[in-house]
Amino acid sequence: MTKVIIISSDDERFPVDIETASKSLLIKNMIADLKPDLGDGDDEDFEIPTPNVRANVLSKVLEWCEHYKNTVFSDEDDEDARKSGGIDSWDRNFLKVDQEMLYEITLAANYLNIRQLLDTGCKIIAEMIKHKSPEELRKTFNIVNDFSPEEEAAIRKENEWAEDR
Amino acid sequence: MNLQDSCASINSSETLSTVLSRGTGKNIAVDQTEEKFEQRDSDTTACQSGEERENPSVVTPFLVKHYNDQANIPRDNIHKFCYRHNPDIVCNKEADERVMRSIQTELELLPSRDRMAISHVWLIFAAAPHAHRSLILKGLLSQCCFPQLLTISQQINQLIRIDFIATLPVEIALKILCYLDCKSLCNAAQVLRRWKELADDDRVWHHMCEQHIDRKCPNCGWGLPLMHMKRAREGMDDKDGKRQKTATGEVRKRPWKSVYSERFQLEKNWRNGVYLSKVFVGHTDTITCLKFNRKHLMLGLYDATVKIWNIDTGECIRTLSGHQKGVRSLAFDSQKLITGGLDSTVKVWNYHNGDCISTYRGHDDAVTSVDFCDKTIVSGSADCTVKVWHVDSRTCYTLRGHTDCINCVKIHSPSNTVFSASDDTTIKMWDMNSNQCLQKFGGVGSNGHVGQVEAVIPFVYKGNDLVVDVDESDSENVTGHQQQHEFALRLVANATATAAATGDDRDCNLPTELPDNLNYPTHLLTSSLDNTIKLWDVKTGKCIRTQFGHIEGIWSIDADNFRIVSGAHDKLIKVWDLQDGKCLHTFGNKASVCCVALSSHRVAAGLETGNIKVYNFND
Repeated sequence: MTKVIIISSDDERFPVDIETASKSLLIKNMIADLKPDLGDGDDEDFEIPTPNVRANVLSKVLEWCEHYKNTVFSDEDDEDARKSGGIDSWDRNFLKVDQEMLYEITLAANYLNIRQLLDTGCKIIAEMIKHKSPEELRKTFNIVNDFSPEEEAAIRKENEWAEDR
Repeated sequence: MNLQDSCASINSSETLSTVLSRGTGKNIAVDQTEEKFEQRDSDTTACQSGEERENPSVVTPFLVKHYNDQANIPRDNIHKFCYRHNPDIVCNKEADERVMRSIQTELELLPSRDRMAISHVWLIFAAAPHAHRSLILKGLLSQCCFPQLLTISQQINQLIRIDFIATLPVEIALKILCYLDCKSLCNAAQVLRRWKELADDDRVWHHMCEQHIDRKCPNCGWGLPLMHMKRAREGMDDKDGKRQKTATGEVRKRPWKSVYSERFQLEKNWRNGVYLSKVFVGHTDTITCLKFNRKHLMLGLYDATVKIWNIDTGECIRTLSGHQKGVRSLAFDSQKLITGGLDSTVKVWNYHNGDCISTYRGHDDAVTSVDFCDKTIVSGSADCTVKVWHVDSRTCYTLRGHTDCINCVKIHSPSNTVFSASDDTTIKMWDMNSNQCLQKFGGVGSNGHVGQVEAVIPFVYKGNDLVVDVDESDSENVTGHQQQHEFALRLVANATATAAATGDDRDCNLPTELPDNLNYPTHLLTSSLDNTIKLWDVKTGKCIRTQFGHIEGIWSIDADNFRIVSGAHDKLIKVWDLQDGKCLHTFGNKASVCCVALSSHRVAAGLETGNIKVYNFND
């Protein structure tokens, strides 16, 4: 079986099936452009370098691709359905990682064009932001307030309308 | 994208020797926090100026090599630095003063030699390229005992806190913000300047508006009124409009956030019942029908006139006379007004100058309802027929099937169908292409009205969250229904309505399942003198929800995507939630309510005594 070899920025090699690799639209298109007959004969393996993704992130991303390799995302073009859908419990568990890993997975999903994974990553980050006060948000993300007290008061007033439905 | 690995440790091209010769360790500090470096200044500068120059250790060559090693670093910053060190990205990782102070204290307790050694370890780590750093860390970790590893693991979670919004690429940050609700967005805007920029971004709020305005958001269940009429007005006034001309003549757009907040405030008023009410006094005769737009409020009276009011100022602008008897129904757009009268005629008016343009005769009894769309007028009459007048071809078709007076006709233009509500307790759906009856709504089997149906509103509901009644199959409820039905039969006994259940069904053998047609309305709302408002599934012809609350017959209803307003003989005006069918507000009056109308921010009602009540929720 022909494999696609994805090479991380730190030169680690990850051999995966074509289906798994094709979860990344970037890689799928690359195969289609450069090696459309891949998998037909007993071709040599096809190497794809991903200079933006480190090995520990790439292995995580490929784990996701492997899990979903046979899944066809039915609502892929329905913006509305993708927006409102909840987070799959497997995904939620998969993304129970520290902020740095979540950050890098999100970036990698964006770079590799894996829309479903990017959506899920963004939803998880959005959940971390939801229902928190500005002060709680600063704490959660280690942010130093750069507003002056006067500015802060003015902005609070500007956003008051959204309080209590 | 800007994920990168070569975590270069200096962003100045200065060589180490120039830095060292100046003796300011601060300038080479890029890693972690500047404070850390400041604090070891005293140590490093001391040793650098002293022994190090004479006894060069491994440290200096290492620093010289790696601080100068620019050769294998890509050109652009994105590849050159990790996001923490990229000078293009403002990173807000705060120095932990407490930790830094304790490092200082502990360091000062050590002999100078030890201090220097420890400082060297830090310095080498700071200068090391990414791969080297990993190697150093691996080595350090493998030396650690469990208590030391525990210390590390406890600190890690505290340390890895990333400002996703400020450091991720803008398009991803905006995508994340698009998943938030409006309150969370407003909180996010108060965190930091950069957060404010992104959380107030027009793209995010445009998305919010798209998700909420004129539809219920599937995520939060909130929908906001359209208010397009208000916006159009503002555009004309050139005050605070979405499009506003600046001095230079270019169109300045109003931020979507302000569009959203304005509608949000209005929806809050609707929910909390915050409004201003006005009474327009000026008639003594009963108001039979009433409609309004952003400027005009028009009403038909038993005294055979139509009155046009300015809805904002409450002035009566014009009186139209021409009908021989009372005006029973009206419909208008920006150019023309169409009225139906007890004198059996339909009249078309130019209401701007008051001229009656044409009169349609053909009904044998009072015209009780009119509606129009483009060049088609539909009228319903007490003669039990519905007539479709094609103005261009000067042809008229008569739709027969009802067995009693028609009270309301409504055109649904996308599907070219007409709905008629009748005293015979049923509603019928007609195809205007074939002039055939497509569906009948009513009868015991479909849980229909038991009294005269006064109003019908066809509409398309996009969501699937309409709350419907549970199927009542237990015997208690069935007998309850039968009793109710028998009561109703007595109620309408004087009329010829007994035919409703028998003779009528033969020529229109319905309800049946309608063929799929994407253009058909999905649902109907109807109101009846049996005190109920009913919601119907157009496809199956079954009533799926009944709203109780009025204690006398309902004369009139109006609805939009969010609300239903009803006016009844019990002198009450009620506002209902369309989605769940719950009554939100009840307003009492001095006389029974003959007609009601609804817009995104107003309710208008005509009373039997001739007074008009207008509730404005936008103040």
